[in-house]
Amino acid sequence: MNAQQTGAPQITKETKNKIRVEFERTPLKERLKAKFINMAFVGGVLWYIVRFVLLLGIAYIVLYPFFTQIAGSFMGRNDFVDVTVMLIPKEFSIDMYKFIILENEYFTAFGNTLLLAGSTALIQTFVCSLVAYGLAKFKFKGANLVFLAVIFTMVVPHQTIQYSMFMNFRYFDIFGIIKFLSGNATVGEIGFLNDILANINIFGAEPTSKFLQAVVEDGAFNLNNSYWPLIILSLTGLGFKNGLYVFMLRQFFMGVPNELEESAYIDGSGTGRTFLQIILPLSVPMMITVFLFAFSWQWTDDFYTTLFFTTNKTVLMPDVVDIPTSLETDYPGQNLYYSAIRNTCGLLIILPLVIMYLFCQNFLVQGIERSGLTAD
Amino acid sequence: MTNELKLNNVVSEQKTKAPKKRRSGASLDRRKARAGYFFVLPFLFGFIAIYLPMIWDSIVFSFCRVQIVPGEGQISEFVGFTNYMEALFVNPDFVKTLVTGIKELAFDIPAIILFSLFMAVLLNQKMAGRAAFRAILFVPVIISTGLMESIASQNIMDDMGEEGIEQGTETSTAAEIVSAIDIQALFAGMKVGTELVEYVATMINNIYDIVNRSGVQMLIFLAGLQSISPAIYESCSIDGATGWETFWKITFPMISPMILVNAVYTIIDSFTTDQNTVMKFIDTVYTQASGGKEISSAMSWMYFLIVILIVAAVAGIASAFVFYQKKD
Repeated sequence: MNAQQTGAPQITKETKNKIRVEFERTPLKERLKAKFINMAFVGGVLWYIVRFVLLLGIAYIVLYPFFTQIAGSFMGRNDFVDVTVMLIPKEFSIDMYKFIILENEYFTAFGNTLLLAGSTALIQTFVCSLVAYGLAKFKFKGANLVFLAVIFTMVVPHQTIQYSMFMNFRYFDIFGIIKFLSGNATVGEIGFLNDILANINIFGAEPTSKFLQAVVEDGAFNLNNSYWPLIILSLTGLGFKNGLYVFMLRQFFMGVPNELEESAYIDGSGTGRTFLQIILPLSVPMMITVFLFAFSWQWTDDFYTTLFFTTNKTVLMPDVVDIPTSLETDYPGQNLYYSAIRNTCGLLIILPLVIMYLFCQNFLVQGIERSGLTAD
Repeated sequence: MTNELKLNNVVSEQKTKAPKKRRSGASLDRRKARAGYFFVLPFLFGFIAIYLPMIWDSIVFSFCRVQIVPGEGQISEFVGFTNYMEALFVNPDFVKTLVTGIKELAFDIPAIILFSLFMAVLLNQKMAGRAAFRAILFVPVIISTGLMESIASQNIMDDMGEEGIEQGTETSTAAEIVSAIDIQALFAGMKVGTELVEYVATMINNIYDIVNRSGVQMLIFLAGLQSISPAIYESCSIDGATGWETFWKITFPMISPMILVNAVYTIIDSFTTDQNTVMKFIDTVYTQASGGKEISSAMSWMYFLIVILIVAAVAGIASAFVFYQKKD
């Protein structure tokens, strides 16, 4: 047998369960040559380098403005007229941060916006996933029409309806119900509403009695300058970019296998319970993605907040962007200096978002990977 | 004998019971349909009770002129197409801005889609630091919106780092990375046409803007790429297809529905942002003293109609080329 094939591996049986194979290996040099010196490998390495450099460059483009802003935020006044200063401040100072936080009521705005953005984002995430689940998993008459309506709310720019949105919440009344109820009432007669309205008032509407009087006079609620317009919009899935969230979540739910719900139904669980106990836990990464979007877009929003909050009673993030009175100056570098101050305001506004993003970005990527988004 | 009889009895009992049960409750399909209505109820209610009246108000408003009469408050008067006529023929800038805005749209959509598809393909490949790159590239989605956009539009700091302060004090735009002339010189011998060269040059110069605005598109593409079965790629590599061939024969057709979705999304997104040229113009009209609100809503409805037509055209054309994987 050995004489027949010299190069072939030799197999010897050592014990019952053990064999020994002996063969001639090709020398290391040859093997390395075959592995590394060919077109596929060289091309792969080149592509790897090109790709890495490209991504590094684009990451730099994304981050560069933040570098200049952070550098500028620590500069003193004179650094802005000094030609030799590039990125590294000569006159290090934290005045900008100090005065923005002290004079622009940063912490008040932080608290108010946290309450606003947190509540609307939570509501939006939940409502959008409800609607998306209904659209993805149930066949009912007019389902396509509802989906079309969702797309419609996404397509109409909010500027188009800004005036009627303002008026709608200035004289808020659904189908004229309030007008009908308060038609002939005076303030004294509907005093029992006081308790209810006192509770509603946690979201910073006008003082109760005044509020009530206005309701009776107008025959409608004045919801402006409170959080209610945004909360009502969120509750009904009409908030900022909610159409996109419904779309994303719908695609996600469509990827969830039907067998999962069918087995839950067979085990006697209703649709609501199936949704809450089986579907929701499954879609946590996707929901965190949506929450992240909703929260940060509400956090930096300056359309709805300036539309609904016409008086400065509720300090929100847009009010922070201002030149603090202590820093007002008049000198050649004024334009740059003010620009740097505004940038510092921006940095302070996004700081909480960046911290939140660092914790959530893992979910963001997971949410995408599991979504299995398909467009059919 | 007795056993058989009993068995028959049981069967007949079941037969009589079954239809009764069906009558007592709704069928599963109908119950599921009811549950579906329950799930979309919040949106449906809001859409009918809040959104449609707002839309209706806004449309009616664009046909009206509001006058403030002392003692009686606001009185709106129906004036027909006056606002529309004024926007189109009296206002000197509206039509011009509209044309510029639509040109910008035509420029933005291909640039953003190409870029986001390219980045999604890159970010989908396995490599060192992929998670970090993804995290960095999605930063603009989270941060560069609304308030930050308006701060960035007043920002003149970026020039400082690159050119020093002397030039920086002039509110010039960011330093151009490449100029069209350089590239033209480079491509002089090739017959690619100056328009294409200029297009690419502006695209590279606006790269920051494009990166900022292609975040969501990148997410959608990435999700689409993740849903392509690895088995297809495996069989491709076994058959000896190169990466280039695999991209055009597999990835591109499989991702084509996402291209349609992204095209529509990009159009919608770029025409609804506050930074849009036409929207900015409409905003300035909105604050005008006499009839500004009415004319601006007439303008935005016209703009909306035009964009809807563009969306319909793009969706119609693109859907002819979209490839849908057949599901078994």
